[in-house]
Amino acid sequence: MRSPLAGAGRIRHGRGVTGFDDRSGPTRRAMLAMLPALAVSGCGAAAGVPPLRVWAMSYEGDYSPFLMPDFTAATGIPVDVQSLPTTASHEKLLTAHAGNALPDVLMLFNGWVREFAMIGAVAPVPSPTLVARLFPGVRDPLRIGGIDYAVPWSVAPQVQYFRRDIVGGAGYATPPLDWAGWLRMARAIKRRRPDEYVFLMLLNWPDALLTMMTQAGATMLRDQATRGNFRSDPVRHAFAFYAQLFAEGLAPRALSTEVQDPLAAFAQGYFAIWPSGPTTLLDLRRRAGEIPPNRWSTARLAGPTGPGPVSGDSASLCVATTTTRPAAAWALVRHMTSRASELKFQRMIGNLPARIDAWNAPQLAQPVLAAFREQMADPAPIPPAVEWERIKGEVQLAAERVIRELQTIEQALTALDDRVDRLLAQRRALVAAGKIA
Amino acid sequence: MTREARAGWLFTAPVLTIIIAVFVLPTLLAMGIAFTDYSIYALADPGNLHVVGFDNFATLFATPLFWRAIGNTLLFAGLGVPMAIGASLFAALLLNDATVRWKPLWRVALFAPYVTSIVATAVVWRFLFNTRFGLVNQALGVIGVPAIDWLGDPNTSIPAILIFVTWKIFGYNMIVFTAALAAVPQDLMEAARLDGAGPWTRFRHVTLPAIGPTLVLAGMMSVAGFLQIFAEPYVMTLGGPAQSTTTILYFMFEEGFKWWNLGQASAVAFILFLMILAVTLVQTRYARRNEWL
Repeated sequence: MRSPLAGAGRIRHGRGVTGFDDRSGPTRRAMLAMLPALAVSGCGAAAGVPPLRVWAMSYEGDYSPFLMPDFTAATGIPVDVQSLPTTASHEKLLTAHAGNALPDVLMLFNGWVREFAMIGAVAPVPSPTLVARLFPGVRDPLRIGGIDYAVPWSVAPQVQYFRRDIVGGAGYATPPLDWAGWLRMARAIKRRRPDEYVFLMLLNWPDALLTMMTQAGATMLRDQATRGNFRSDPVRHAFAFYAQLFAEGLAPRALSTEVQDPLAAFAQGYFAIWPSGPTTLLDLRRRAGEIPPNRWSTARLAGPTGPGPVSGDSASLCVATTTTRPAAAWALVRHMTSRASELKFQRMIGNLPARIDAWNAPQLAQPVLAAFREQMADPAPIPPAVEWERIKGEVQLAAERVIRELQTIEQALTALDDRVDRLLAQRRALVAAGKIA
Repeated sequence: MTREARAGWLFTAPVLTIIIAVFVLPTLLAMGIAFTDYSIYALADPGNLHVVGFDNFATLFATPLFWRAIGNTLLFAGLGVPMAIGASLFAALLLNDATVRWKPLWRVALFAPYVTSIVATAVVWRFLFNTRFGLVNQALGVIGVPAIDWLGDPNTSIPAILIFVTWKIFGYNMIVFTAALAAVPQDLMEAARLDGAGPWTRFRHVTLPAIGPTLVLAGMMSVAGFLQIFAEPYVMTLGGPAQSTTTILYFMFEEGFKWWNLGQASAVAFILFLMILAVTLVQTRYARRNEWL
């Protein structure tokens, strides 16, 4: 793939779109050649078959139009993909459901599937073959009450991207995989580079801390996930370790709105270790001019005594209950999650295939994917409360208050338990009444 | 009803119908929802919807973030209104001076931020406020001020956003004040000058009474605007750092649209409505007493 179209917001695929050559991959010229076709299909005059509508977030949304020409060629059904901004997607999807305006096929982050299944927005998976032969653990959060509501599509566990030169300069070939060793290495790097940082863990992105909590052995909700369970030793342990990284100046106290271009900062050596998902592979390839491939590599995230389960933003495909063409929609899901599509997607945006049989492909044998491959088999469990997405945010806010020295860990965890208990009040009442599990 | 009154109703009927359908009715419904426990569970099953009386308000008053949001909003309004009105008035007075040349050019230049997309300008300002590369810090560095973590420090995040907001909106009131200043009677001004009044006395006793009503109106609109501040923190800081820029409206947006707690969110809207109403009433009374309205 030579010239991927970055951030292609919205690309329509009409029937008979030409100029897309599978061998050479999408080129800018091909995309330009499609523009007149867009205008035509936009008028709905192209085929008479109305397009299936797909909503997806992030790079998945930007790049899934490239998966569609094959589907359209095989079935004659055009597909209209809309890319949603990730930060606004949850409210957009909920509002769309309330307004009866969901598309036929939608992407959901795995942590949201329970919520959207509960409100009746997404339909059960009609055929077991759609969810057969998957990596164990990938399917679990998508099964609610024994029914599958989503097909795993884009698996995105976090690993640590590290600067080989900086880590090497401190005397390490690869970062240690236990916390004590990680900290020793970080201090060694900080001694050599006192003006820069070692880690990038953005203060409003909860994955790094949640991973630490899971790895420390925390069960974050108790009593059938109706109460917070944050005043526990594993959580204290994880919070203390996380806060120490900031207190010692190993990680900058920064929000995502402040580090506007983390990749450039990584390339400049502003930090050396970056816990991130596989889509960063796309950024690194696209901007190899700033940071050549020999400067970085990947390793599994460090845990208290070694690598363990890791949380991430894996995504799945669902079909809306409101679709008027469920058969076509499921056919599209089958196409988008097929081995060929998964491999093509992996080449484009880095995200990993959920099907076991895709992993024998030579493209997945690259050394930088080894860490992902090991991590795939070990996803962090998602607590079974629809409020979980919101609770994640509260956990991170509690951590931010500790890191900014507004509260002690004990104060923050007490407030967190209190807050989470309030958020779960309605769930508690419904569980007690036997209305939900 | 006289013929004239009938004609009047007839002509206003279309607009009134629309206002009732898209404004009055939804507002009443929202007020109703404020007394229910409407949440994601009610979206799943309407059977989960209950009337809970004043529970939402009780919960709100027990939520620290709600008070935090009220405090932040009052801080925005308390600092922002004088800043914005002051900047507008200052710019208008400068532009009103007879010695200023190319007035239309200045007016356009100073008004331009107001009509520029807020997201685009916010992105630019985020770069300006960047701790490491930002022009604001570089300029401060020239005069020896150490680097400030504008958007990352809970103590400077509100001032940083206020600087941006003032820059963004002062052009509007500047135009309004320019129009008002044009109406200041020049004969009074000259008489005051002949009587030996200095610039401040002339401003205080001639200009200010003449533009008083405009000033009150602009102040009222600004207070109402600042109490509803949302887009700026949403784009600049996402309510952070440490929720120091979470405003009432931002809080309401998160509760209502992000997490679908419409019961709580409507309660917040209700309180915000009362706040704006109260501020407006106070200002109107004050203006009446000074015979400006």
